Amino acid sequence: MIKSKSIALPIVILAVFSILIVLGTVFAFVSLNNGELGIYNYNAYPTCIKLGLDLSGGAYAVYEVDRDNLPESMTDGENDEQEIEMAIEGTRASLESLLFNKGYTEAQVSVYGDTIRVEVPDVDDPERIFDLIGRPSSLEFKEYTDAETVNETLMTGDEIAETGVTYNSETGYYEVALKFTSTGSDKFAEITSDLTGKNLGIYINGEYVMHASVSETISGGQCSISGNYSYDDAYALAVQIQAGSFPLQLHMRESSTLTATLGDSAIKAGVIAGLVGLLLIIIYLIAIYRLMGVAASIALAYYTMTYVFFLSVFPWVQLTLSGIAGILLSMGMAVDANVIIFERIKEEYAKGKSMRMSVSEGFKRSLGAIIDGNVTTIIGAVVLMLVGASTIKGFGITLLIGIVLSMFTSLLITRIILKSIMTFHSEKDVALYALKRKVESDEAAAEETAVGEEAQGGAAV
Amino acid sequence: MKINRNIPKMFKIWFVIPFVIILIAAAVFTGYAVSYKDVSKGMNIGTDFAGGSVVNVVLGDSELSDNNKYNAHLDTVVGVLQDDAIAEQVVAYAKENLDKTIDKSAVKATVSYSQKSDTGANMTLVVKYDNISKTYDPTNELTEKRNELIVEKLNEIYSAENGYANASVTYSNIGATASESLIRTAIISLAISLAIILVYVIIRFELWSGLAAIIALIHDVVIMVALTIAFHIQVNSSFIAAMITIVSYSINNTIVIFDRVRENNKIEKKLNQNAIIDNFEIADRSTKQSMTRTINTTVTTMFAIVIFAILGASTVREFALPVIFGLIAGFYSSVFISPALYALMKNAGDNWKRARANKTNPTFVGQKKKKNA
Repeated sequence: MIKSKSIALPIVILAVFSILIVLGTVFAFVSLNNGELGIYNYNAYPTCIKLGLDLSGGAYAVYEVDRDNLPESMTDGENDEQEIEMAIEGTRASLESLLFNKGYTEAQVSVYGDTIRVEVPDVDDPERIFDLIGRPSSLEFKEYTDAETVNETLMTGDEIAETGVTYNSETGYYEVALKFTSTGSDKFAEITSDLTGKNLGIYINGEYVMHASVSETISGGQCSISGNYSYDDAYALAVQIQAGSFPLQLHMRESSTLTATLGDSAIKAGVIAGLVGLLLIIIYLIAIYRLMGVAASIALAYYTMTYVFFLSVFPWVQLTLSGIAGILLSMGMAVDANVIIFERIKEEYAKGKSMRMSVSEGFKRSLGAIIDGNVTTIIGAVVLMLVGASTIKGFGITLLIGIVLSMFTSLLITRIILKSIMTFHSEKDVALYALKRKVESDEAAAEETAVGEEAQGGAAV
Repeated sequence: MKINRNIPKMFKIWFVIPFVIILIAAAVFTGYAVSYKDVSKGMNIGTDFAGGSVVNVVLGDSELSDNNKYNAHLDTVVGVLQDDAIAEQVVAYAKENLDKTIDKSAVKATVSYSQKSDTGANMTLVVKYDNISKTYDPTNELTEKRNELIVEKLNEIYSAENGYANASVTYSNIGATASESLIRTAIISLAISLAIILVYVIIRFELWSGLAAIIALIHDVVIMVALTIAFHIQVNSSFIAAMITIVSYSINNTIVIFDRVRENNKIEKKLNQNAIIDNFEIADRSTKQSMTRTINTTVTTMFAIVIFAILGASTVREFALPVIFGLIAGFYSSVFISPALYALMKNAGDNWKRARANKTNPTFVGQKKKKNA
């Protein structure tokens, strides 16, 4: 009774993992369309991974700086060219971070002279670029008295740090939220205190867009524009204001679609390399570690599937060539922890411990090295995420997902599976786990190494 | 496989090899720089960093959708980009207008990639290629001249007489997509990671392990760059990703060995409490104990990336080869460099501590003065 119970759980565990892997594999390669399986269409999850410019192409737009409408500071004859250059670089940087925040980590923004070229991956319609970054324009705040009078500019859009859409549950309408830079907050507080009771107008490219009455001094650096907007209207206005927050006025010169520069052949090479590599790793592990290798292989298969799945659902992941290579490398690194553990288990067993004792000792004793090794890598990944820009940030995120997952699979899943497999074997089946005791002469040598330090030093020479 | 020699003690041999690689890289760098009479050509820097030009040939989907036709047109365009007559004209132009003598090879374009743009009748073949080096052409005058000649020649080929009534050819300049700020933030974040990793390793292990690990990491990146230069592999923005990958993975190898050092030090201290610990012996024992795992992990990591490099096109190789170099460098440094560095530094540190504890102050100060003199 007791015996059958102790075997039942491992069988269930192994069955569940096998089923998960079979399902994961099937869903990775099979897509169901046209209602083959009921109402929903299903795309194999690896195909849902968003791809970068090199693998999937996208759309581009080229903008030109409007030299006739430069801000005053750039036309006063003092370091004009230098200021314009800095403003172009500033525009480039804000475009890049804007696209990053929308999940386009692999978008590219490049500057040549007076032109700024924006390339957005995974977009098949150039119009989408404008949905994302707006039609770059200049934004000004002026006092609004009536439709005819144009008052002097009080503030420009480059003092706006962020725009967004919020929902006001009291009115039931959407609002445009503005967040100012620190200098912008002070300026906006000053303007609103001057204009309390009057109207503040927003002008884009010199043209009147809207006005709102100022009810009080707004000093927190944040404000919202409420005007009974639907979500779409509020979003459109937010994008327009965001686009107006660039330091320079830009004109679009051209825009169109682009195909991938590498495309299918690179993806195919990546998939084949991944599958063959996976197979080789599994063969290698099983050849060296036998049944322990089987446990690690199941954990590795599980890792690879979950990793690919996470990459397909996480925002800020746009796979490029280097991303593919990163996945390929991570498979090899994911078994590293298991290799460390298995070597330790072999060592413990060689020293004379029992099979099960060696396994738990092996896991326990290698934990320090595994944690320290992974923490250093995690440090690297987190710094990349926090400090790096666009593509570097994306790389940090991908790296971090991989490390956390691999720690989970190699420590937990391998252990569960290994223990389950071991319930079917007794102490005399150690050969199945590639474990062996140290030979007599070696044992003597080991003792010598551990104790007789001077003797060892002599022998080494 | 039994190695009886003490690996870290042979540090003189191990430390020389990286320098030899660096020297070879320097030689290759100089060789290319001299043959092109241009320092910036020493390393094969791609258009991601340097910017470039694109030529757009509007041919329509009837000409470009079919792969064979597409490749034929691409060959035509590439042929024009590397046309001898155009190169000669540019050289002559430089001589006449700028009073500069340039080698023909320096003005021939190198193609970095091709793609299609737009749809339907407007479908365009886009080919990106490098500009003439700033060393010869600081104002981009020659590049502009070359681009005009290229467009002229392509217009001749894709003319109405040749049956391309609706074709049109234009060129445009493209700035570096890997902007300076991207490279700057990459370097800053790498530096910060190194600093935090150093602090972490010092806290979890000891000062000498931390220093040795960081030096090993820097070694890996330097060797990776050196081999990339030595093989004249083109460097694009993916190279930054490759470097970060290596830094983040290669620290693992070193940590695993230092974990053994930490453990062996503890055992040693328990066994002979008063004896002087032989750091070289500890480092050697730890390296050998971790050897199987270091080899196994390097092998499993290599499998997929090597196959990727074999299967992939040249762009794939551009990324995969530096990564493979980095993995080899990481293996080398964790086995041969960092344990030896650790033992050397720890010995020096221990000696210094002992000297301070044993010797009376005057002698110590005297020694110091002697050194300064």
